[in-house]
Amino acid sequence: MKLDIQGHSGCEIVIVHEDNDLFIHKSTHDSGYVPRLVNQANKQIAASKIEYQNIRVPKVFEVEQNDTSATIKMEYIYSRNYVEHFEQAGFEQIKYLIGAIKYFIDLEINNSRMETVPSHILTDKMADVARKVEKNVHLKDDAEAQELVRRSSAVMDQVGNMVLPVGMCHGDLTFSNILFNGNNYYLIDFLDSFIESPLLDIVKIRQDTSYLWSTLMYNKPFDKVRLSIISEKIDVAIDEYFSGRYQWYRDYYMPLQLMNFLRILQYGHDDKVISYLKKVISSQLDFINNTKNI
Amino acid sequence: MMTLIVPIAASNAEYEHKLPQPFRLDDEGTMFCVKAIAGLPLQDIDDIYFVILREHDERYMLSEQLSLQFRRKNLSRAHVTILKQPTNSQAETVARAIEENNITGMVLIKDADCYFTTDEILPQNGVAIYPLEDLPIVDPQHKSYVAVDDMFYVTNIIEKRVVSHFFSAGGYCFEDALEFCRYYERLKEYSPLYLSHIIYAMLLDKKIFRPILIEDYQDWGMMHLNS
Repeated sequence: MKLDIQGHSGCEIVIVHEDNDLFIHKSTHDSGYVPRLVNQANKQIAASKIEYQNIRVPKVFEVEQNDTSATIKMEYIYSRNYVEHFEQAGFEQIKYLIGAIKYFIDLEINNSRMETVPSHILTDKMADVARKVEKNVHLKDDAEAQELVRRSSAVMDQVGNMVLPVGMCHGDLTFSNILFNGNNYYLIDFLDSFIESPLLDIVKIRQDTSYLWSTLMYNKPFDKVRLSIISEKIDVAIDEYFSGRYQWYRDYYMPLQLMNFLRILQYGHDDKVISYLKKVISSQLDFINNTKNI
Repeated sequence: MMTLIVPIAASNAEYEHKLPQPFRLDDEGTMFCVKAIAGLPLQDIDDIYFVILREHDERYMLSEQLSLQFRRKNLSRAHVTILKQPTNSQAETVARAIEENNITGMVLIKDADCYFTTDEILPQNGVAIYPLEDLPIVDPQHKSYVAVDDMFYVTNIIEKRVVSHFFSAGGYCFEDALEFCRYYERLKEYSPLYLSHIIYAMLLDKKIFRPILIEDYQDWGMMHLNS
């Protein structure tokens, strides 16, 4: 039996019923995406071999690939999405989640090495963003977007070499890529990151806790006030925890969060989302400039 | 020291030509908002504030009527606080009453559209609860629900999602009025803001709330379903 469900990445996701078990088949028929999907599978396989307490990774059973397509067969997880989980979570479940996030990222940090990330990684990425914004029909004539790109380029030029933990990173650690099963949290949709640093995972999780990004994409009715209160709680806890421990977090979180939102903006096509992104990016630039002036 | 606040400052277009339900009289001539507090241990309460809107007061002469009710029920420490402007939430009504009357210490907030009895209000944060299965008629969408652990600590409170067989029965205790105001200030930009949001934010900050299991619950907001 097959049941199609919608995925976020453009891949086809099918739930398959075999021998009284459910499995997920995630596949692509885009030859350009094949290597990326296979990399994701390999990253997920590697992550599933590590013990993380409450954090889980669905098992990958098979990876089939040829020149034009690839399919990953993996464990099906009975779960709820983050909004439904937060709607019903008592305060102690939020506390467990905060603990699990800290634990997971600390484990990533412990499995990484401090490395110097050359300044050109960031400036090249910025130049790439500028090119994509220039080509995006929804942005190329948008003076405000162009000005934000110009101001952002100036920020990225000043960051310089970054000394960061590099080695282990989920790559897209947003709430929409966490499946909630009681107090177990299953991570899905591993991705390659332009810097394989745990800091990029903090950036991604705070994309949701600080900026409520995934909530923008959620179409069903929910208690927005409650979700905002919970998100703020998690955000403050994560920020206090890592800013109290790591200089690299204090130094590079904000420029990398700015880069994160620029990389979303470059593909923007919905007016409401573009408007939101410009507001966020503008506030980030103001924050960075104000901090510099202190 | 404990202060009881009864917020009745909701603004509604309907109230331009219709007396709000809490100010109507029951068969014995008691205002429903006054009857709403009759089941509480009033001997333990120092002051009682009924918080109303000026526009309602001017239209229906409520402060005079409430004063008569206080005399009749021998509520010598009951007062009327009149707000000049409508508020955005029940939480704002309470915060403004606390501010205008310089209330400190413990506050008990009682909804004006329901009745319950309880023998004792302990000096701690608490939420009045009642089991859903004891109601003959239920309108689940208009309730908030309270999850309680085995040792009788509140672990969750949420609007309109049935996470527990206990619902919030319209009574809320905050052991420190000023702490309530601090949380209100932090959350006041959110809309619609309910008291349950303030309690949940406090729970997330490890503030302890105990349930108050009440008796004889009557929901006058449900009267339309009985008719």
